[in-house]
Amino acid sequence: MTREEIYAKLNEVFQDVFDDEDITVNDETTADDIEDWDSLEHINLIVAVERAFGIKFTMGETTSMKNVGAMADIIQERVG
Amino acid sequence: MSLVSFNFLLFILAVVVLYYVCPVKFRKYVLIPANIAFCCFAGVYTLAFVMLSVITTFAGGLIAGRRSSSPAARRAAAVITIVFNFGLLCAVKFYGVMGLVSDSLNTLLGASSGSWLEFAVPLGMSFYTLQLIGYVLDCLWEKIEPEKNFIKYFLFGSYFPYLTSGPMNRYSDLSEEICRDHHLAAENFRNGTIRICWGFFKKLVIAERAGVIVNAVYGDHNIYTGWYVLLGVTAFAIQLYADFSGCMDVVIGVSKLLDINMPENFNSPYFARSIREYWRRWHITLGDYLADYLYYPLLKSALFVKIGDASKKAFGKKKGKKVPIYLAMVILWTAIGYWHGGVWKYIIGSGLLHCFYIVSGMMCEPIFEKIRPVLKSDKLPYQIFQVVRTFVLVLLGFVFFRAANVPDAIDMLKAIFMASAGEAAIDLTMANHIVLIASVLVLAAVDLFKFRPKDTDEPRSVITLTEGHPVFTWVIIVVLIAAVLVFGMYGLGYNASSFIYATI
Repeated sequence: MTREEIYAKLNEVFQDVFDDEDITVNDETTADDIEDWDSLEHINLIVAVERAFGIKFTMGETTSMKNVGAMADIIQERVG
Repeated sequence: MSLVSFNFLLFILAVVVLYYVCPVKFRKYVLIPANIAFCCFAGVYTLAFVMLSVITTFAGGLIAGRRSSSPAARRAAAVITIVFNFGLLCAVKFYGVMGLVSDSLNTLLGASSGSWLEFAVPLGMSFYTLQLIGYVLDCLWEKIEPEKNFIKYFLFGSYFPYLTSGPMNRYSDLSEEICRDHHLAAENFRNGTIRICWGFFKKLVIAERAGVIVNAVYGDHNIYTGWYVLLGVTAFAIQLYADFSGCMDVVIGVSKLLDINMPENFNSPYFARSIREYWRRWHITLGDYLADYLYYPLLKSALFVKIGDASKKAFGKKKGKKVPIYLAMVILWTAIGYWHGGVWKYIIGSGLLHCFYIVSGMMCEPIFEKIRPVLKSDKLPYQIFQVVRTFVLVLLGFVFFRAANVPDAIDMLKAIFMASAGEAAIDLTMANHIVLIASVLVLAAVDLFKFRPKDTDEPRSVITLTEGHPVFTWVIIVVLIAAVLVFGMYGLGYNASSFIYATI
């Protein structure tokens, strides 16, 4: 899966979870950039990303991803 | 040996001298005898408790984090370690099997028998145990590599400044901080000293004085009504904050003297504009811990994912996805309440009541969204209203938290609305009232200075006030020491708590 394909899918997931069709994410995007992305919504997002890509994040990864770029790195590593 | 005592200052002086006399590479090892000595001052049982906790979590972390072992074996090792350490804690906390540990930790915290600080004794140990369990879980979840060097782990697990009351640290952060090279720097001495003095000021001038009002009102609540109940309730909020955050100032200041940086635990909590924000500003390291080790794992579990799917079908996507969050909140806050003492006043006061605030706030969010523009929520008057409203809600929780039991708390809340009576029974002179009000104003001014509207932004520290001005820093330090000596109204060598009951 290319980085572009990962981001195309990630955009869909983010738009769906946060109910906002205008959201586009990149390597630098963090929770500060998306209004509804707080500690309460974080797991909803993680579970939705896991389902979309058919992967599982460890608890360590779930709580320590610093930005969407880190998330995309893990996805790329898992799906190849 | 209380953290706020002359003996503790002498102990720190000895540790700091030995620390910097040693060559840079060996400085961290001075902390080994220092940690052991600190435990021994509290009593041999405390040392036994700490050693058992450190050894079992070290071994548990090694097995739980071994990637070549089967997942089942790793999980079993983690579960056994966690159960053992919780068992050890429960034995001390609830059954008094090692009553001497409690007594000795009481001494460390400077609490006298019968004071409200009694409940903080098991809390200190609870945080300590939670922190070490966090390390085992980090190993299991492959967040960190298990530590193979016992000395390095012991330095983390027994670091004396945070032993009694935190702040809670992650192994990955603090171990690196303790084990790096530490250099002698005048700046660290200034910054550490001013922080320690500020902690002493908060504890001895504010908390101990506010405690007189608190003990009077909560001790015999039947004779107080109206404003006097409100005074007692507010005084407890001040006492708890000044005491706990003052203790953190001492811990962070002592660490600064050793060139070790500790995380902040408070960020102007009483200026929070919502309960959620309050919990991101009050006891920050506990909130972070519970999110990482209880709230997230719960929500990510297969059961909660299933509940989320079912609730989305039943209530629609937007409302349905909130159901597992609400459920996890109830479990989380019940656990927090239970953790504070296992009786209803804690479960309500520091648990379910706050859960109710947050969950009902989330449920009413669509309504708030509509009325916010009408209320001009971006203007200062509304923001001040939000701060006051949040503080009142926090006070309500504290009434349950501090009262002897739930019926007493309800009686006190009712009494607030009666005609005021009870002035004569508060044994605090006018001069002491004035000192208390003036010192609370100083505390509020400093907190306002530190305050950043966004709670994730790093607060300005007390140190920042004087940064870059060494002479000014030392002037403030002298003023704080003078204030503690004069307005603390005690002689050196006195125990903070015994002083308050004996002389005010």
